Amino acid sequence: MEEIRAKAIELLRSGEVKCFIGYERASDGLTARPFFAYSADDAGRLIFDRTCAHNLARYLPDMRGQRVAILVKPCDSRSVNVLIQEGQVNREEVYVVGVVCDGVYKASWGQPSQELEARCLYCSRRVPVVYDHLIGQPPASEPQTPASIPEVEALERRSAKERWEFWRSHFARCIRCNACRQICPACYCPQCFSDQLDPLWTGIRIGLPQNWVWNVGRALHLAGRCADCGGCERACPMGIPLAALNRKLAGRVKELFGFEAGLDPRAPFPFATFKKEEVL
Amino acid sequence: MKFISDKNLRKWLESLMGIGSLIAPMDLGPGLTLFSQIRDPGDVNLEYETTPIPPKDLFFPSSEALFRFSPSRGYEIPEIDGEAFLLGIRPCDALGIRLMDFPFLSEPADPRYERRRRRTTLIGLGCIKARPECFCTSFGIGPFDASNADAFLIPVKGGFLAEARTEKGAKALAAAELEEASIPIPKPPEVPSIDVGAVREVALSLFNSPYWERLADRCLSCKLCAYVCPSCYCFDIRDYPIRDGAERIRSWDSCQSPLFSRQASGYDPRQTKASRLRNRFYHKFSYFPGEFGAFGCTGCGRCVRYCPVNIDVREVLLAILRGEAKVA
Repeated sequence: MEEIRAKAIELLRSGEVKCFIGYERASDGLTARPFFAYSADDAGRLIFDRTCAHNLARYLPDMRGQRVAILVKPCDSRSVNVLIQEGQVNREEVYVVGVVCDGVYKASWGQPSQELEARCLYCSRRVPVVYDHLIGQPPASEPQTPASIPEVEALERRSAKERWEFWRSHFARCIRCNACRQICPACYCPQCFSDQLDPLWTGIRIGLPQNWVWNVGRALHLAGRCADCGGCERACPMGIPLAALNRKLAGRVKELFGFEAGLDPRAPFPFATFKKEEVL
Repeated sequence: MKFISDKNLRKWLESLMGIGSLIAPMDLGPGLTLFSQIRDPGDVNLEYETTPIPPKDLFFPSSEALFRFSPSRGYEIPEIDGEAFLLGIRPCDALGIRLMDFPFLSEPADPRYERRRRRTTLIGLGCIKARPECFCTSFGIGPFDASNADAFLIPVKGGFLAEARTEKGAKALAAAELEEASIPIPKPPEVPSIDVGAVREVALSLFNSPYWERLADRCLSCKLCAYVCPSCYCFDIRDYPIRDGAERIRSWDSCQSPLFSRQASGYDPRQTKASRLRNRFYHKFSYFPGEFGAFGCTGCGRCVRYCPVNIDVREVLLAILRGEAKVA
């Protein structure tokens, strides 16, 4: 915490960055929220602990054209790479402060918890993949990646009919508030397919067929781009298990193309690369 | 005050279901309760904490076809019929419906909203516990405020104290086996209050304050706050082709959406996150009271609880009142 504040003050005082994107305590006094520090005074409000779940990379495209610093956990750092790789963020404009992470708590506003988020249980990274300055002690070795993700496996074991029923019951509840889209670093399209009038993908009707197209469409657009920060699922007021969809697709992309999102900002995109030997 | 015992509650719900549809809080999963049409009285949860969606969608559905038209069948207007009982509505949400009445029932009244309001009996439920986000007492109501319900229940040991407030409410309670209440009305929980009286005046002078820019830094411009709000009522209307014709659809919309205020020319008077976010608060605490004489907020705290980035309306109100948002 002190080290983060000191770094932020140094970067802001020297004029190296205009703004430091980090976390401050939320209004419940327990959890955290994104915070934009513009001065040394502001920097005194910065915090970092296991309640800092947000993926702040989402804010980088908003800040284009000015030099900013951003605090990233390992998962968030992959999103920064995805944005660089896709030409949405200029690496020179961003000072990345990486933080060694042992996982964050599954807490929501006013409801603290000491339980780790599901994604943190099988996360294989303690150290961000991109940073200009690292805070914390890296472990001697990164943990092993588990062979599979329990929640995805549990769904895979069900019949197609059961899976259909499972997603139908969840998508039926979707109110299309777009919180999943708006919190996602990979959802930066100036015009989302769901807002398009021509061709009409979903329209304004909030109903099962339209919700189905929306949720599945978004998941497909994230294949090979999602860093599994879990922001969409945390933001969803209706408790739709969106992360399971994204994890399933990330697993397929890894299987088919040997590709994981955001590990290397110079890597070619699996969907924009033609290789004769790839047979789907 | 009358008394309905837990034992007689089920029988009462069954008789209500015999008269019309019963809509009540029902658990749909871990930590998720929603107002749903009840098929089995055992599914009703009157100890629920909160629902992400207020029961406003019973009167103003998230999506509905206003009418359909086709060369072969002409115009068809989807029917709204039968009676409905909305059971377990909290004082804040009942106030929300009262606030929605202003835009929807002002001349000319919205016919579909009006029909739904007329057919529905609101059976309110007192709160025996306040949540950390509650601030309903700021808006002239409280945990046991029955003024916007037709009938009102207060949970006590072994059942509920019950009171009819209107003819509709008396009719609903007449279907129950009531006893004379021997239990006194319990003390309602303490709910913190913000003195909002001066907000409207003060806010008007803060329109150009840099405060909104700073607050909007973390705003995502999603529509969650509006969709979980009991008094947000904006909608969009579009026509879509269906087999052999077309239908006119009305769906929820929100001023937080980047497309909300974009005009046909492509010009958008609210292009920035800050101007959209400011509009949310100005509408609730300045324009709505100017139009209808009441604040467009019920203090239910849903936007506080569900905002993914914790934009807290109570902090905004206090910042306005304390002059923190003053133009430097």
